Amino acid sequence: MQPIKIQPIKMLVDFIDLRLGVKDLYTKELNGYLLPKNVNAWYTLGAVLVVLFKLQIITGILLLMFYVPDAEKAFASVQYIVNEVPFGWLFRMLHAIGANVIVIALLLHMLSVLFMGSYKGRREFTWLSGFIIFNLTMGLCLTGYLLPWSQLSFWATTVATDAAGAIPVVGDYLVEFLRGGPTVGNQTLGRFFALHVVGMPLVLLGLIGVHLFCVKRRGISSPPFGPDYSGNEDLPFFEHEKHPGGIPFFPNYFVKDAAVICFFMAFLLAIIFYAPGLFFPESAFQPADPFLTPPHIKPEWYFLWAYQTLKIFPSEIVGLGVQGVFMTFLALLPFIDRGPERRPGKRPLFVTCYVLGILLFVAISVWGHYS
Amino acid sequence: MSRVVIWSFLLACFVGLSPTSVAFAADTVCIECHGGQPGPLGAPIAEWRTSVHAQNGISCHDCHGGDPTDFASAMEPEQGFLGAPDYSDVPAFCGRCHVGVAEAYQSGAHGQAIESGGAQCVVCHGNHAIQKPGLELINEENCSQCHSYDRAALIRLSLVETDTMVAKVGEDLERLYRLGFAVDEMQGTLFNQRNLFHRIFHGVDVERVRQETAAVQAEVGKISNEVAEIDATVGQRKLWGSVVIGLFVLAGVIFMLVRKAYEEEEKGGG
Repeated sequence: MQPIKIQPIKMLVDFIDLRLGVKDLYTKELNGYLLPKNVNAWYTLGAVLVVLFKLQIITGILLLMFYVPDAEKAFASVQYIVNEVPFGWLFRMLHAIGANVIVIALLLHMLSVLFMGSYKGRREFTWLSGFIIFNLTMGLCLTGYLLPWSQLSFWATTVATDAAGAIPVVGDYLVEFLRGGPTVGNQTLGRFFALHVVGMPLVLLGLIGVHLFCVKRRGISSPPFGPDYSGNEDLPFFEHEKHPGGIPFFPNYFVKDAAVICFFMAFLLAIIFYAPGLFFPESAFQPADPFLTPPHIKPEWYFLWAYQTLKIFPSEIVGLGVQGVFMTFLALLPFIDRGPERRPGKRPLFVTCYVLGILLFVAISVWGHYS
Repeated sequence: MSRVVIWSFLLACFVGLSPTSVAFAADTVCIECHGGQPGPLGAPIAEWRTSVHAQNGISCHDCHGGDPTDFASAMEPEQGFLGAPDYSDVPAFCGRCHVGVAEAYQSGAHGQAIESGGAQCVVCHGNHAIQKPGLELINEENCSQCHSYDRAALIRLSLVETDTMVAKVGEDLERLYRLGFAVDEMQGTLFNQRNLFHRIFHGVDVERVRQETAAVQAEVGKISNEVAEIDATVGQRKLWGSVVIGLFVLAGVIFMLVRKAYEEEEKGGG
């Protein structure tokens, strides 16, 4: 008589499969989900961002256990988290520095999509949802900035909300609406806190869902490089872009996602342990004082371009208008750039604008930093 | 309307922060008026801007009194305007804020000799361009204006070790503060000890300086030990952090190697 082999994992998988059909799901959505043969490392940035956003949620929840959204107690509660709560310093650093790394990853993701023309081929919704995610992330950064109630928080928020005052007609009302009063105070902290921990994350999660749905439904675009690239053909009906003979997402490409995620985590931790002050100026460690404006207050690095643009133009409203036009143009790019060509070598005008745009962004940001 | 508000908010997020609203406290009428004047009436403003007082928000009216908001009554005695004090009144003038130092000074040789031209505050520290003082102020050139440098040299020698210690602990606390550590209490203690230390040598009594600096050193030493403990914690964190970073890099490299193996397989299969 043959001995009966007990295979607990197989039994468990079979148990679940009988009820949820997970094997079929694995075949269709993971191993059977094929990516273009020439897919490159830039395509991993989406997965990196998903992991980084999850890290923000986890660390955010941990911070929320001790943070007090009250102007009298907020700064002390952050001090308590950093100095008294076991590993509180790590959660706070992962959250605050992680936000900066997310912005870096988002910029790289968007720049790679632009360079490869991946927004083309009826992917307007994918681009637009991604663009809104980017801006919502900026909003999360802005609202999160106020919560520690430091000098930096207070004055950066004062200045940022002041900027809205330059908008004609509604400017003054808008400033008061954003602040919940004539000046930044407890009421501002309350609404920024609500937006930062509930409102914006909920919308963000929804948008990430929409973005992933668009990516999945329309199909991954092929990189416009090498002999495997074939141009897009705009058919008069919907078509999911398939990649027959391509690379299975799991496990073949998943390991590349995992590798880049590991490198990004190493990068994030390297800043936390070796350059923890990189994103924290001195005013970030002083409690908010509405009667003392700190000298040389500067916005975060990703807002420096906007900060400096407002200084270049003779009036704030012109600066705001220029920024508004630029951002609107970027949001609507897939509707404006309708040409089917995606190969950078065949798009000299676009590549020139792309390179000059990056250089301009860096130059204006550096100028803003040293101005 | 709500759509306008939402779009305006998003626009505000896009455009980030405006620099034009960052403003320092408005200049007082003293600065507005004297700042534009030539010669000795305007010079103090330029000198003051370079001073430790300016860095800490101490303005003209904080010392000279008067109403800094009104041109007409700015220099009215009724508004508490004092103007420039007489030579012998300077210690009391500065001593309104620097109380401990003034007490020590008045009990010492300099303070006792004030009526006969003994050194007062501005002789060593200067007036409007006053800088954060250090031991370099006790030097042969300064002291020899009035007397021989011998005793001053002895006092300076007694102060060097403590001064270096206080400065080093101050720098350490600043470094830890920039890392987010709650060092307010230690900074407060150091501030008190530094003040006490400054007080001691304004009495210009060599023996007293020697005795009392020992007590200051003991207190500052306690802070130094606490700093060392925090530094040890930081070192441990760095060590564990390095291990985790190394593990992530290693995992990344392994995943890349696995991917390479898959690539070989894909080429073979294709």
